[in-house]
Amino acid sequence: MRDDRVKKDRSMLLQKEMIAEHFQRLEDAPRSGEKVVYTFVPGNLTELIRSFGALPLLPEINALQSGMRGKSKAYIAEAEKAGHSADVCTYVKADIGMMMSGNIGPTGTRLPPPDLLLLSYTGCYTFMKWFELLREQYKCPTVFLQIPYQGDGTLLPEHREYVVKQLREDVIPALEAVTGRAYDEGRLRELLALSARAEDDLVAVLHSAKQKPSPIDSYFGGVYYIGPIFSAFRGTPEGVAYYEALREEVEERQALGIGPETPSGRLDDQRFRIVVEGPPNWTSFNEFWQMFSDEGAVVVASTYTKVGGTYDFGFRHDPGDPLGTMADYCGGCYTNHNLPGRIDMLVDYVKQYAADGFLINSVKSCNSFSAGQLLILREVEKRTGIPGGFIESDLVDPRYFSAANIKNRLESYFQMLRERRRGQVAPGSDATAEVTP
Amino acid sequence: MTITAGIDVGSGAVKAVVVDGSAEPRVLAHAAARIRRRDVATVVDEVMGIVLAESGVDRLDYIASTGEGEEIPFATGHFYGMTTHARGALMLDPRARIVLDIGALHTRAVAMDGHGKVLDYKMTSQCASGSGQFLENIARYLGVSLAEVGPLSLTAPKPEGVSSICAVLAETDVINMVSRGIATNDILRGIHDSMAGRFARLLKSLKAEGVVFLSGGLANDIGLQASLADALAAERRNGAEIILSTDPLAIHAGALGAAIWGAFRFHRLGTTGAAWTSTEPLPTHESAR
Repeated sequence: MRDDRVKKDRSMLLQKEMIAEHFQRLEDAPRSGEKVVYTFVPGNLTELIRSFGALPLLPEINALQSGMRGKSKAYIAEAEKAGHSADVCTYVKADIGMMMSGNIGPTGTRLPPPDLLLLSYTGCYTFMKWFELLREQYKCPTVFLQIPYQGDGTLLPEHREYVVKQLREDVIPALEAVTGRAYDEGRLRELLALSARAEDDLVAVLHSAKQKPSPIDSYFGGVYYIGPIFSAFRGTPEGVAYYEALREEVEERQALGIGPETPSGRLDDQRFRIVVEGPPNWTSFNEFWQMFSDEGAVVVASTYTKVGGTYDFGFRHDPGDPLGTMADYCGGCYTNHNLPGRIDMLVDYVKQYAADGFLINSVKSCNSFSAGQLLILREVEKRTGIPGGFIESDLVDPRYFSAANIKNRLESYFQMLRERRRGQVAPGSDATAEVTP
Repeated sequence: MTITAGIDVGSGAVKAVVVDGSAEPRVLAHAAARIRRRDVATVVDEVMGIVLAESGVDRLDYIASTGEGEEIPFATGHFYGMTTHARGALMLDPRARIVLDIGALHTRAVAMDGHGKVLDYKMTSQCASGSGQFLENIARYLGVSLAEVGPLSLTAPKPEGVSSICAVLAETDVINMVSRGIATNDILRGIHDSMAGRFARLLKSLKAEGVVFLSGGLANDIGLQASLADALAAERRNGAEIILSTDPLAIHAGALGAAIWGAFRFHRLGTTGAAWTSTEPLPTHESAR
């Protein structure tokens, strides 16, 4: 992270080391001979990639890291100069701009060109266009795994079969060709077993937010917690070790009855429990977080932390059915859910986590997330009886983060929640929503 | 007698009042100053100096801040903006049950009960086309002062419609209108109509009826008032009866509400001792250090 406003947990430091080591391996790959597969977070096939001894690289992680490190503005400007429109997903432009600026990754190491572009399509149309652009640049093989969208709210057996068929006939042969290795299902099963262990620990961490006070923040802290499992470390011993350490750390806080570290210090006095829909803003991440923590608001559940897998609803990678389980995983990513499915999830979170409110952060350049969010807002309000809040920002384009606007809206929203809580107070008594005495 | 001060730090201006916060609050002094790229702390100190001098009080029992004034070092307490606008509006028009706060940054409709307790609210989207700053930018482009905007708009024979969605598109529309020779009053009325349309939808979404009090920097823009009345008349055909109301002190509604809640808080806490007395230096950022 760019600044040190939040006291680092042990797990954060561990994650930092893991990421640094991974990016070093990526930089060394052209010399070490390790093959590099570019892929996206939702529907990533990390275990399969790693079972061939290849390294995954996730462009949208690089883009968000560029945002957090204050580099995305210049990258986006480069991409726009090259002709990419102001309305294009800013992850794409940050990535293209980074590539045009020498392809130096978030940790300062040079990123290698891809040996394979593996596009697992899970509901975000932009990903296809993104890889088309990269294919044009790198002239490398591309493989496209098409995951049927859950338009009717479920993944049918024939959908699953269709994905498995593509894995067998397209994805595995492409990985074999690029790496020169044969598909090793035994190896894949071993890695999937490691994934399931890490997933168990992650879910325990996410569920801990049901406790009051919550020992975690499931959005601002949550994006760190999902880091390894959503990126390069699923199915690795390092990933397992990270989630064991994270769970232990969170269980310590649970036992002590204390809250998470935030930009306002440790948040023990949690005045509002919030559910959040939509990705965070990365360019002003800590400032955005502090607008919540200053109000004593902790996020107890979020949908963004499910884009790389909805583990908290029971899914685990199953080593007993390696290809089938990957089909289930891809189909279940949050981005592949239809609007009613997303509403059900939000309603469930509000109830399960005893939330006081829910907020939508509508991201300007992410139509995949933003389309339909006002409908979601009204329906969740209707079904839960709690008011929703709506704010607007962007992923990594700092021009679309208006701090004063967002702060004003959040302040009004939290005030509303406070007034509702005081709803039973007799008229004329202290309903002043005072911030400081 | 309980004497309190309220300071409302907005995005475009700082407003301050000194109030006798007895059972029937009475305004002893008020002042407002535009920020205009100045240091906000300087502007706060300036308006506080004015209201203290004008009111002639020798003490302040409570100094209440609101809006973006959380950081004022000499404030006794800070109050949320919706609460203060609601209470200030209620003082200026006790019939009001909705306050439409039209500020530099955004417009917000707040529903309240007869005691100023906030019940619900709706805000315009983050686009600037519903904001006072947008209108000011257009006025500057057209070469008219803000004070002229309202009266000019009222004289428009043939208002020219502008984009109501996006401030950037609306500005482009205006540039195009100027080049087409559209009269300034018609352009201004078109902008007022566009803003009023957004506000009417905001009020409709809040299911507003009865007296709506206009507060904030644009509350006394008579052109905007007329456009809003027209827009609401169109809505009235659908059943909602809305009466618009405002007051010359409407821009101070937030500061007034802060001062009144400050007096309430002062009594409720049973505080003894003043927040400031005339034997001390004037309350400024410098003296608070």
